[in-house]
Amino acid sequence: MNLARFFLQNHSQVLELTGEHLWLVGWSTLFAMLIGIPLGILIAHRTQLNRPVLATANIIQTIPSLALFGFLLPVPWLGDRADRLAILALTLYALLPIIRNTYAGIRGVDAAVVEAGRGMGMTESQLLFQVELPLALSVILSGVRVAVVISVGLATIAAAIGAGGLGEFIFRGLAMVDNRVILAGAIPAAILALLADFGMGLIEKRLRPR
Amino acid sequence: MIRLRASLGLLVVCSVALLSCSSSHSDRIVVGSKNFTESFILGELIAQQIEAHTNLKVERRFYLAGTYICQQAMLAGRIDIYPEYTGTALTAILKQGISRDKREVYERVKDEYERRFGLTLGPALGFNDTFAMEIRGEDSRRLSVRTLSQAAQFAPQWRAGFGYEFMERPDGYRGLVAAYELHFAEQPRIMDLGLLARALKDRQIDLAAGNATDGLIPALDLVALEDDRHYFPPYEAVPVVRKQVLQQHPEIATVLADLGGKISDEEMQKMNYAVDAQHRDTQEVVREFLKSKRLVP
Amino acid sequence: MIEFRDVSYSVNGIQVLSGLNLRVAQGEILVLLGRSGSGKTTTLKLVNRLVAPSSGQVLVNGAPNDQVDLIRLRRGIGYVIQEAGLFPHFTVERNIGLVPKIEGWPEERIRARVQEMLQLVGLSPDLASRYPHQLSGGQRQRVGVARALAADPAILLMDEPFGALDPLTRDELQREFLSLQQRVHKTVVFVSHDLREALRLGSRIALMEAGKLVTVLTPAEFLTSSDPWASAYVRAFGAGLESAANRGTS
Repeated sequence: MNLARFFLQNHSQVLELTGEHLWLVGWSTLFAMLIGIPLGILIAHRTQLNRPVLATANIIQTIPSLALFGFLLPVPWLGDRADRLAILALTLYALLPIIRNTYAGIRGVDAAVVEAGRGMGMTESQLLFQVELPLALSVILSGVRVAVVISVGLATIAAAIGAGGLGEFIFRGLAMVDNRVILAGAIPAAILALLADFGMGLIEKRLRPR
Repeated sequence: MIRLRASLGLLVVCSVALLSCSSSHSDRIVVGSKNFTESFILGELIAQQIEAHTNLKVERRFYLAGTYICQQAMLAGRIDIYPEYTGTALTAILKQGISRDKREVYERVKDEYERRFGLTLGPALGFNDTFAMEIRGEDSRRLSVRTLSQAAQFAPQWRAGFGYEFMERPDGYRGLVAAYELHFAEQPRIMDLGLLARALKDRQIDLAAGNATDGLIPALDLVALEDDRHYFPPYEAVPVVRKQVLQQHPEIATVLADLGGKISDEEMQKMNYAVDAQHRDTQEVVREFLKSKRLVP
Repeated sequence: MIEFRDVSYSVNGIQVLSGLNLRVAQGEILVLLGRSGSGKTTTLKLVNRLVAPSSGQVLVNGAPNDQVDLIRLRRGIGYVIQEAGLFPHFTVERNIGLVPKIEGWPEERIRARVQEMLQLVGLSPDLASRYPHQLSGGQRQRVGVARALAADPAILLMDEPFGALDPLTRDELQREFLSLQQRVHKTVVFVSHDLREALRLGSRIALMEAGKLVTVLTPAEFLTSSDPWASAYVRAFGAGLESAANRGTS
């Protein structure tokens, strides 16, 4: 049967796997933001830290994803549940773009504006939340966008270790030598990535400072 | 500031939406299987049985890439039931040493699975997919050799062929020759698993290692020698179910009980052969089998 | 009002300021005049402690400014910089109302004050909802001044505020600033490298060179001074300075 009919017949499973995929991407991006944005702010203000932090994130990025999954498998508690492990690994991979863009965004805020604010008696936290973050927001979001797109792609590999998601269709299809099953995973994953990229790009544009 | 708050708000909303994406299927049963033919057949069997004898809708999630993947899928609730082997469960998942007693292995796996994972084992399906040493049917008849102990006296005249893994495993070749005092004339030939049966048929080797339920056994007129000293560990096929699912749908327990002991080694061989070598449609093969056993009307 | 006692400042091995002793009287406009690198901007930033001295003391209203609450100190000092440093993502209204807002003034009072400030600096009230990028350079600078004055600080620090403007607008703003000062009587420290501006605006001119205070003179004294640096400046700026010295009435 042709591809479209296959999708229709198996739409509930496609949706279910898409949901699992979003679960993996959603949680990991959230964690990466909760860790990465404060870290990025920290190294933007204390630049002596920026080299070690960025270097570490860079090193994590260069580890091949399947290898990282393999490293983490024997770890107790983590290795017991594949989705926990996958979310941790995806979080780690999302860190670099988020930290780097937060750093760049905050450093890119006009120093004169920040100094003017400081000179007028704004506290550091007021400066951060009222000046630096709003002005850096669009750059930070651009980093989040990159992280999300990377995660959608990497999450397909997470199926190799049993975390579910659209990658499972791909691996199953390979074992069954059935292209339709492979595409049932590959096409939605690609669409998801494009949607995320496009959607976040829109948000970014709206939030760009004038 | 407003923009910052708005984006934070959007983030919270998205997170909440995403986090409620977890899987939960109430009137649906998801049946899984591993990525080889026999597991696929068993999965289809379980699925068809459930469809025939309950009101539940069955979703198939077959060809999952291995034991760990299936286990994870069970724990996460992504699948509800799948066929496993007792020996595999004991060594690969529970990471314990294996014993030779079929009953003991089954009980141990059943207890541990319930205690640690909240998973229940259905009754064994009837066959033992363990290692089998195969010889040509004509040799078996001519020499009246049906067990491995009987084969020992002819071993010095035979050439053996094994897969790489069997040679390397401590409970493989080395243990075998020790348990049965087999002395082959020369070192066994190491071959690709898929070629062993052919090589045996073509007289390039006289004894090969395979699986007890290998479809080629009846097809090529091969005989699987009986493991009378019980050297090889038991790998009984069993359905593994999530306890929660059994509680919600007790009718499944009946379905699994009905399947208990219904598949012999030979019957499994025949089904494997039908799908692998004759390339027949799995669903059809399974339906035929179930009819023949009067498990479905 | 403001006093520098033996203040020195060095950073990265460079001596930016040495042995600065200076007093700024209440209500006067003290112009810090000097070349780039003379230390005049640093001197300005020492007042609101954006920079801390390496040695010596800076006193504001009689108290050393490292012994008072930094935030309170800064909120009581208006700060205007070149290109105004307006927040690009705030409307004119939010920019001007910045210090009142963080001081917790009620909304009504802030709104009224913003209108008052707009009037004071000669801007139309319907500019309140515009963003800085929608204004001209001169308008932006006026907003900067309005913002600095919004919380009614006693002291105003101005770092070459009119430097980036075209000569006509600069002239206009200087004139308006003088009349503004007539009304509000702030203590102003004003940094400039332009002698004409210094003569026009300053009650006194503090001439700085290479981190040292050379001399402090009134505009009239400056023109006739025999100090080598002062006379060098006068020569460099050429003719027509007397009219500037007469408080810009030309």
